[in-house]
Amino acid sequence: MDTLHALGDGFLVALSFQNLALAALGCFLGTIIGALPGLGPSNGVAILIPLAFSLGLPATPALILLTSVYYGAMYGGRISSILINIPGDEPAMMTCLDGYPMAQAGKAGEALAISGIASFVGAFFATWGLVFLAPQLVKVALLFGPAEYFALFALAFATIGGVAARNQIKAAFATGIGLLIAMVGVDLQTGVARFSFNNIHLYDGIDFLVAIVGLFALSEVFVFLEHRAGGGVDATKVPLGRSMPSAKMLGHVTPAVTRGTIVGFLAGVLPGAGASLGSFLAYMLEKKVSGRKGTFGAGDPRGVAAPEAGNNAAAGGALVPMLALGVPGSGTTAVLLSLLLALNITPGPLLFQKHPDVVWGLIAALFIANIMLLALNLPLVKIFVRVLQVPSRYLMPTVAMVSFVGIYGISGSSFDLLVMVGFGIMGWLFRKMDIPLVPVILGVLLGKLMETNLRRELTISDGNWGALLDSPLSIAIWTCAILGFVLPLFIGRFIRPAAVNNEALDSD
Amino acid sequence: MKFSTFCKAALACALLALPGTAHAFDPGSTECIAPANPGGGWDFTCRQVGKTLQDLGLISGTMQVTNLTGGSGGVAYAEVTGKRNKDNNLIVAASSATSTRLAQGAFPGANMDQVRWIASVGADYGVIAVSKNSPISTLPELFDKIKADPGSIAFAGGSAVGGWDHLKVLIAARKAGFKDVRKVKYVAFEGGGEAITQLLAGSVQAFSGDASEAKGFVDSGDIKVLAVLAPERMPGDFAKFPTAREQGIDAIGANWRGFYGPGGMSDEAYKFWEESIAKLYNSPEWKKVMETNGLAPLDLQGAKFEAFVKDSITDIQGLSREIGLIK
Amino acid sequence: MKITDRILGVIALGIAAFFIWRATLIEEPFISDPVGPRVFPIIICVLVGLTGLGLILKPDPEPQWPALATLLEIGAGTAVFVAYAELLPLLGFVIATVFAAGYLAWRLGATLPKAALAGLAISLGIFVVFHLALGLNLARGPLGF
Repeated sequence: MDTLHALGDGFLVALSFQNLALAALGCFLGTIIGALPGLGPSNGVAILIPLAFSLGLPATPALILLTSVYYGAMYGGRISSILINIPGDEPAMMTCLDGYPMAQAGKAGEALAISGIASFVGAFFATWGLVFLAPQLVKVALLFGPAEYFALFALAFATIGGVAARNQIKAAFATGIGLLIAMVGVDLQTGVARFSFNNIHLYDGIDFLVAIVGLFALSEVFVFLEHRAGGGVDATKVPLGRSMPSAKMLGHVTPAVTRGTIVGFLAGVLPGAGASLGSFLAYMLEKKVSGRKGTFGAGDPRGVAAPEAGNNAAAGGALVPMLALGVPGSGTTAVLLSLLLALNITPGPLLFQKHPDVVWGLIAALFIANIMLLALNLPLVKIFVRVLQVPSRYLMPTVAMVSFVGIYGISGSSFDLLVMVGFGIMGWLFRKMDIPLVPVILGVLLGKLMETNLRRELTISDGNWGALLDSPLSIAIWTCAILGFVLPLFIGRFIRPAAVNNEALDSD
Repeated sequence: MKFSTFCKAALACALLALPGTAHAFDPGSTECIAPANPGGGWDFTCRQVGKTLQDLGLISGTMQVTNLTGGSGGVAYAEVTGKRNKDNNLIVAASSATSTRLAQGAFPGANMDQVRWIASVGADYGVIAVSKNSPISTLPELFDKIKADPGSIAFAGGSAVGGWDHLKVLIAARKAGFKDVRKVKYVAFEGGGEAITQLLAGSVQAFSGDASEAKGFVDSGDIKVLAVLAPERMPGDFAKFPTAREQGIDAIGANWRGFYGPGGMSDEAYKFWEESIAKLYNSPEWKKVMETNGLAPLDLQGAKFEAFVKDSITDIQGLSREIGLIK
Repeated sequence: MKITDRILGVIALGIAAFFIWRATLIEEPFISDPVGPRVFPIIICVLVGLTGLGLILKPDPEPQWPALATLLEIGAGTAVFVAYAELLPLLGFVIATVFAAGYLAWRLGATLPKAALAGLAISLGIFVVFHLALGLNLARGPLGF
């Protein structure tokens, strides 16, 4: 009960007028930042750190402001995914797959509301997990050595087959391209440059933000240019539909939200895996569970609920290693960590003992931000869907320019912009040829991590490949990957040919 | 105080007289380039120094922090030497990583004389540590174990192979009498925190990093510091740990943090920055920042700092050549 | 006619071959782990190559390629984006963005005066939100914005 007592004290800290106002401000700014392509939780928080400084805030209020931004951005990413098929940040990528089809079918309001509720549930339980399980969860993180991480990333890639619209070969091709892009830059394990063609801009590799904004946002602009070129009025007038889902639909998505929360939270706890992996695995698991009954890819509400529960739960999970170990589990927590340092607080195993007011104030702030976000987001659904009524001749230029600003404002590099335009063209061509984009991003995000962990393990074991299967945990993950995802791919061909028909429904 | 005001006025005039160059229209508006994304060490240096300079009234207004990412600092270096060579309002965050890259020729066509080295704001000394359960308790013991069985110990660090965390291991190994330092296993991680986690998880047996990265885990007793790579014992919490030198391994590894400015910066501007950062360094505010972030003293400005960077580059070059990292 | 996927397959084979060749050129590091920097890229190239073969053998039906005029439209859009990226640091954010956003609005169906207005509004709107409110560093041109 000490925990609850400490949490109560935390609420006393957080529930002052100033702190509530800061949380509201943070939630609002975070939602907007999350919804803008190119700006996600990590650079959103980084951008707002100077604001916290210039307001002269002490440690706890500053943290409250910035964690509200963090949670707000995780909420906001889904808005642009659903409304304009452009993920606001990388974990919201999976939400495009079913959210946009829902919006096109006139269910934008419902999709937004479901994803908002799923985000709330994911974040809410993840925060409780943070309160009660942090010390135990740290032990889970410590079970993951390089071999286990390698197995985990292999599991993620084994599920990719399910992303493909019609042609598995094209999903594999897209994955390969993503992996190849991830290989560009200086190799961490040897320090030599790979595929950088002596161009200094390529030494650090290609930032996945550049890839995702190019592939999703700019290619969407090209699609509009293609269809609307030379004038004419907007052809599509999408009906806005209701703004609250029915109780039946909510009941329908509840199991998906539950599973998504658990998967996402666990992925968040592992340093390095993060929210993108959480939302991806949550989506894939849901698709797997629903089997032939689902309409995934064509506007299944569960396809919106699961990844949103997953990525918001991962956001809470990522705070576990940051607060308990001082190890950032994601880009955003890395930024929060440097903020803690700047505020005179050394994170690490003793943070809970040394600065209980900060930690519990922060956790209380998470609860408050979460409730505030739900309260802010549900009524705003009606306003958000109005974006659909903005004529595309004004909306798309704005999207394009915001994409450029997002990338340039962070890296200050014209070269990155050119690379982004290249990705935009590539995304447009891929869409024409029905090549899925998600595997490309997954390859870019996870490819290097997968290689690096393989090579770390083999360095440690002096080249003994058997070491990859040396722990029960890695054997379990490999079994999961092979039994759950690889074998069905082959067996399904012969035993359940009907399943293929369902895949044919998947289209963008 | 008077001097710096005069300096700023002079700066403003000088800038107004140069309308042709880009960015010259903001007399007195200062800028710090962080050659990495927001959230990293360089970004942190820029923001902390910018904020403290403003708090101390050494600059008027806010220092603009620009993130210019790429090439491990190489893109920013090229931008400054190429396009902004005469900008008097500009400083750029740098650290040992910068001098390591310069030494190893990783910035194509660049050398340290193309910019003006302004001042340091502190240093982060290297540590070598093992998990609290490790049977090893001194640095010579660790190296004896590696000599007996090179496969038994893997070092983890937060930089790439050939980077600073790795070089520290190699420096120590050489001083400990290794002929072929390639035998010492090093596993690169994304950052110091991740490397320590893997030490705690038991995947690796030793850790090479900076004192600031290790501080939280030293306080909690999760890791055992075998040696600090400083010339003498550090102040504060780390005072109880012996230096490598005390244990007969004369290895020093300081990750310094500081700034350079454009090569064409005027002497007046250079002097202004040198003195401003000296004042910053001596302020109680900065002392507090240093203490919080585990920064050790390194008080060098102007010519002294330039000589320090030159020495450190020569050292790293010699070492890298000797162990074959560069030809 | 299923020529598109077959061409893509050939391109995939080309990419695989090119990058395998580049991978063999990666300099031998002095200190190397047991796997080395070349193995993983080569495995990936083999994967890409195999998918290329698969595409040649089992192509999908032909996608709807747009007419030449539309392709030119895409090309022109790309040229504007490239020019925008190159001119951004020279002209400054506001001016460059007025032109790029205005062009897009025009091509997407706005009348010229409205497109010009939209360009101005988008540019200033982004400038206010991102630079003045969020403090993001947009490109500063000779006029300081």
